[in-house]
Amino acid sequence: MMTSYSYATQELIAGLATPFAASALAVLRTSGEGAIEQIARCFSDPERLHSSGHGCLVHGVFQHPDSRRAIDDVVLGIYRAPGGYTGEDSVEIFCHGSLPGIQRILDALHAAGFRDALPGEFTYRAFLHGKIDLTQAEAVQEIVGSKSEKAHGFAMNRLSGKLSQVIDREKQRIIDIMSVLEVQLDYAEDEIEEDTAVPLDEITSAEEALTRLAETYGVGRLFHEGARIVIAGKTNAGKSSLFNLFLKQDRAIVSDVHGTTRDYLESWISIDGMPARLYDTAGFRYADPQGFPEIIEEEGIRRSWGVIEESDLVLYILDGTTGMNQEEKALFEGHREDPKYLFLWNKTDSDSAQPCPKGAFPVSAVTAEGFSKIEQSILTRLLGGNISSSDQEIMIDSLRQRELLRKAAASLQEAVQAVNSSMPVDIIASELQNAVSALGELTGEVTADDILDRIFSNFCVGK
Amino acid sequence: MDIDAIVVGGGHAGIEAALALSKLQFSTLLITQNLDAVGRLSCNPAVGGLSKGNIVREIDALGGMMGKLIDETMIQFRILNRRRGPAVQAPRAQADKFSYHRLAKETLESQPYLQVFQDTVTDLILDETHSRAAGVKTERGRCIPSRCVVLTTGTFMEGKIFIGNHWASSGRLGEPAAVGLGTRLRELGFRMLRMKTGTPARVRRSSIDLEKLEEQPGDEQMQSFSFSGKLPERPSVSCYIAFTNTRTHQIIQENLHSSPLYGGKITGIGPRYCPSIEDKVVRFPQRDRHQIFVEPEGLGTEEMYLNGISTSLPEDVQEAFIRSIDGFAQAQIMRPGYAVEYDVIDPTQLYPTLETKQIEYLFSAGQTNGTSGYEEAACQGLLAGINAGLKLQGKEPLILSRAQAYAGVLIDDLVTKGTNEPYRMFTSRAEYRLNLRHDSADQRLLERAYQLGMQDEQAVERLREKIQKIDEIKHLLREQKLPGGKTWYQHLKSPEISIQQLFSQNSDLPAYDEAYLRQAELDVKYEGYIKRQDMQVKRFEKLERIRIPRDFDYFSVEGLSAEGREKLHALRPVSVGQASRISGVRNSDVAVLMVRLGR
Repeated sequence: MMTSYSYATQELIAGLATPFAASALAVLRTSGEGAIEQIARCFSDPERLHSSGHGCLVHGVFQHPDSRRAIDDVVLGIYRAPGGYTGEDSVEIFCHGSLPGIQRILDALHAAGFRDALPGEFTYRAFLHGKIDLTQAEAVQEIVGSKSEKAHGFAMNRLSGKLSQVIDREKQRIIDIMSVLEVQLDYAEDEIEEDTAVPLDEITSAEEALTRLAETYGVGRLFHEGARIVIAGKTNAGKSSLFNLFLKQDRAIVSDVHGTTRDYLESWISIDGMPARLYDTAGFRYADPQGFPEIIEEEGIRRSWGVIEESDLVLYILDGTTGMNQEEKALFEGHREDPKYLFLWNKTDSDSAQPCPKGAFPVSAVTAEGFSKIEQSILTRLLGGNISSSDQEIMIDSLRQRELLRKAAASLQEAVQAVNSSMPVDIIASELQNAVSALGELTGEVTADDILDRIFSNFCVGK
Repeated sequence: MDIDAIVVGGGHAGIEAALALSKLQFSTLLITQNLDAVGRLSCNPAVGGLSKGNIVREIDALGGMMGKLIDETMIQFRILNRRRGPAVQAPRAQADKFSYHRLAKETLESQPYLQVFQDTVTDLILDETHSRAAGVKTERGRCIPSRCVVLTTGTFMEGKIFIGNHWASSGRLGEPAAVGLGTRLRELGFRMLRMKTGTPARVRRSSIDLEKLEEQPGDEQMQSFSFSGKLPERPSVSCYIAFTNTRTHQIIQENLHSSPLYGGKITGIGPRYCPSIEDKVVRFPQRDRHQIFVEPEGLGTEEMYLNGISTSLPEDVQEAFIRSIDGFAQAQIMRPGYAVEYDVIDPTQLYPTLETKQIEYLFSAGQTNGTSGYEEAACQGLLAGINAGLKLQGKEPLILSRAQAYAGVLIDDLVTKGTNEPYRMFTSRAEYRLNLRHDSADQRLLERAYQLGMQDEQAVERLREKIQKIDEIKHLLREQKLPGGKTWYQHLKSPEISIQQLFSQNSDLPAYDEAYLRQAELDVKYEGYIKRQDMQVKRFEKLERIRIPRDFDYFSVEGLSAEGREKLHALRPVSVGQASRISGVRNSDVAVLMVRLGR
């Protein structure tokens, strides 16, 4: 995937590091051998730039290298190789966030010999120069794309090597187990006094730990991509009011007329730090007594079902003033225990509200009564008890990591099975070796020397 | 007669190197300090063992001598680790030291194209550019020109032995060191290391109360290491097992100050896997006994080797602690234990052909390269000899891969990672050990040796017959069925069914060599694992196949890390695979090389 990029680091690259949108400030990033010299050609005070060391900020005017026309007042951040993010000479340009201004600076950079950076190319160069390893490179993608503060926290954990630490702990444990087996392969039966039994418990517990870590992928993904939460329910049950309550702004059109939301609306929200995409669907109008949705809104409703299918959680709103119809009763009975459904008993503020049935959550979309409890329930449902709300929790979020962890866990299971079917030690050892090399792909290789070191320090061997 | 090749040293590496070069019909001269010490087993009187037994059989498949020497001189044979699995069992034999040495000398003497000469080499003759070996100079002032030189100096290069306070300039007890050559190599700019190894006392058999020791007999049937060999048929002698005790340890503890190891006299690095008894007592204080193998040095001698208690303590302390061992109260020491320290060429200065990078046509093998063990030395000697010959012939070198032979693992480890202790082969060093079984060494290597001129027609015929027989057996396994309809093949997959059990079901079947049956059995039983390993090997070989030219300019490659560039430049790996195993070379460097070298 990255191999298509140019390996030639003498090519100068430039890219906008902040969104191309009007804002107070924007940051452009440049990198490559000679970047500082080329930027100096676009700067009002080239001398100061040349004499600035690594990590300095310089204020001045950015100008076109040929016409010398001033473009913007900027601050330049200077990084000299091998420091800085990419490990190359690099300049970060802090300018005003006006779209024509950003465009003119980019034009000037092109004139000075920079080309547009490919997606991820700065990180790729950092990797190429050994500034970051593979898991860290993945984590950078994360920070850049993270949807909420908590997701940012997870990514930061990994970048500082916490995930590596956890995986490393399990790897060390397996190496310990391996040394117990390998010593029997390296020394004859008469050279070591007694065989140590294969520590099955240890293998199993390492396997469980790795499986657990692999399973955090689901949660990691929620934080990374955002959970998909759908609001569904009969027309006029109060879906849009609830949607707005989440948004705390009048985004959806709220009216008393049934079926105002003909299609669905979506918006990013944050539930206690977890990013989520909230969908407000078209209402299901049950034409009593048959209870089938009417044809007119077929398209919107069809889409609504599609959204429900792909969602992580469905908030089904029941109208507390009218109670449940036949279909809703069936739905409620069928999904009361289903973690994907959360039933809300709306309009508790109304005088005509009926008592909330067991298994549903009372709420008033108007007064927000019961709302915080719902937010808590949403979190519990989505995270399935997998996570405390602390940033310290380690979780994985790339498929590659999950696959390698699963591979390692599977090899450990094979090892257990080999032990149980009385396979010889060398076969069991080869399964453990497979597990270690899968983990090695995540955090760096384990060599035979690592295992021999362990043997020599733990066993009295040698004739 | 003009000399094509000079081999310096007559140990296990030197013997193989000299025989290989002369087999390839190069006029070869082996120079040794002492003709009466050729092929001497200076440490324990045994050949083979775990992974080492595999190496002996690899040497044999490649046309080397070690397997034949031990077959003719073994006085006990055992297959080790039978129940620990197919990949790790290996043959080991006790040798009659004196017969072994004598047969080695006779073999050298009867080899066409080979001369043997007693002298001490002190310097190399180089060409005017100082970058090519052109012969040797000896202690007695002789200059002998040649087209290539193989160094197999063992523990003799600037060797020094220690017993307590005593030290002497020797390579073995009673044999003077070769002084001068190590210093000369340093002057030529080689990075030299100091290493240390040790040996225990030899004790008179009739002074030991063998009744108090546990007897360890060999296997009933001796087997041959050589693939060409007849089964050796001679009476087997026993070894014995004794144990140190807390009294022994106390004596050692109290006298540690007089050990040159702990007194700081020895600076060389010793092997962790074969610690002296001083080391064992210090490092494992919680153990109240250590095992000792009491091994006969031969049939015509009373000397018994005390394997497990190598030491350099003063002689009176040695006597005291040995006599504290049950069964040894009256023990008479015939030779004391000692430590020896010697010069080693840092092996990362070698190509995988074992030629030095700095001086062309200079090869080096064995303990000179930082290994320990007869088998490790012999396989290097053989490959250095073959590669020197191939170079003189202008042919492609023979580089064995890690998936092909333990010898390949050994040499790759040495030249790629170097070593900071005497390097011994271990099963766990080989990633693909299911493929490296001792019984398949001929299938892995013999054809290649034949192509190079190291094996004769007969040997290849034998191999073809073996392969055919094994195929026949597997065919039978697929055809024969047990009541219930499942084939023997399917039954054999379960751990508790043996091939003998199956073949005993039908007496009409032809009789097969037990070794062939065994091999077919392992192939079937572990088929799944072997297949998986084969896939891993395929992946591994991808990188091995991307060759790097010798004069490749790493400084012209953009994108290499500074450290990686430096390491690659210094080490000059022959393939991207080897490059990937150099410490300090990063994944990204490997990626860059792959792109640059046309992947």
